[in-house]
Amino acid sequence: MNILAYAIYLTITFYITTRVGRVLFKNGYVFVLPLLENDEKLTLFVNKMLLTGYYLVNLGYATAIIITWHNITTWTYLVQSIVEMIGRILLILAGLHWMNMIVIHNYGKQILSSHHKT
Amino acid sequence: MKPVHIGADFYLIAYLVYIPVVLVITWYVSHSLFKNGKIFMLDIFRGKQDIAFATNKLFETGFYLMNLGFAFATMRIYHYLDSNRALMESLSAKIGGFCIYLGAMLFLNLFFFFRGRKAAKLRMAEEARITNTVVRD
Repeated sequence: MNILAYAIYLTITFYITTRVGRVLFKNGYVFVLPLLENDEKLTLFVNKMLLTGYYLVNLGYATAIIITWHNITTWTYLVQSIVEMIGRILLILAGLHWMNMIVIHNYGKQILSSHHKT
Repeated sequence: MKPVHIGADFYLIAYLVYIPVVLVITWYVSHSLFKNGKIFMLDIFRGKQDIAFATNKLFETGFYLMNLGFAFATMRIYHYLDSNRALMESLSAKIGGFCIYLGAMLFLNLFFFFRGRKAAKLRMAEEARITNTVVRD
């Protein structure tokens, strides 16, 4: 049953990760643009690199923690462990996401204040 | 994590009820919060639509991630479930607790929205004052 659990878990995590990645990629563009002096080509490139890094970290982590799984013998434990694992991944994603937002916010403030000075 | 062997049926029922209920509640709260969040964001970013909607979407994503993550990570029931009564009791405690948590998150988000709007208004007033004095000078 472990194989089944891994299959379900990986499918759901990959789906969530790619979907969230798309959203961040699309909406992050507006924020990175002013940070790079409105250079659209460079922004697109940086954004793509960020997306790739995000995929690597998340999918890598999601795949790597499979080794911590116990033996699954019942359906109850199957459901419980899959949901708990996904919950943990989501919490980590949320933490990274909020951190990112705070960093972007602070950068934006700095740029705004430097514009005001000049 | 130890697998549950005794009374496993009750646990499975509890989880299969809990997951959809939590999904629906989270979707509903987040949907209504961020449908109205756009107005706040437009105020905060002074009508710059692209950046306002992008921020709204990012906040929405964060809201979903955090709350669903919390709901899933705390799903396990530690009570001993041996009857329908025990099932109902612990399931109610779980879902009720999650609702309270979600309510707190909702108000936290609203608080941020209002604070952002206030800051934006103060900034605008400040800038208006500066330009006024410059014109007068």
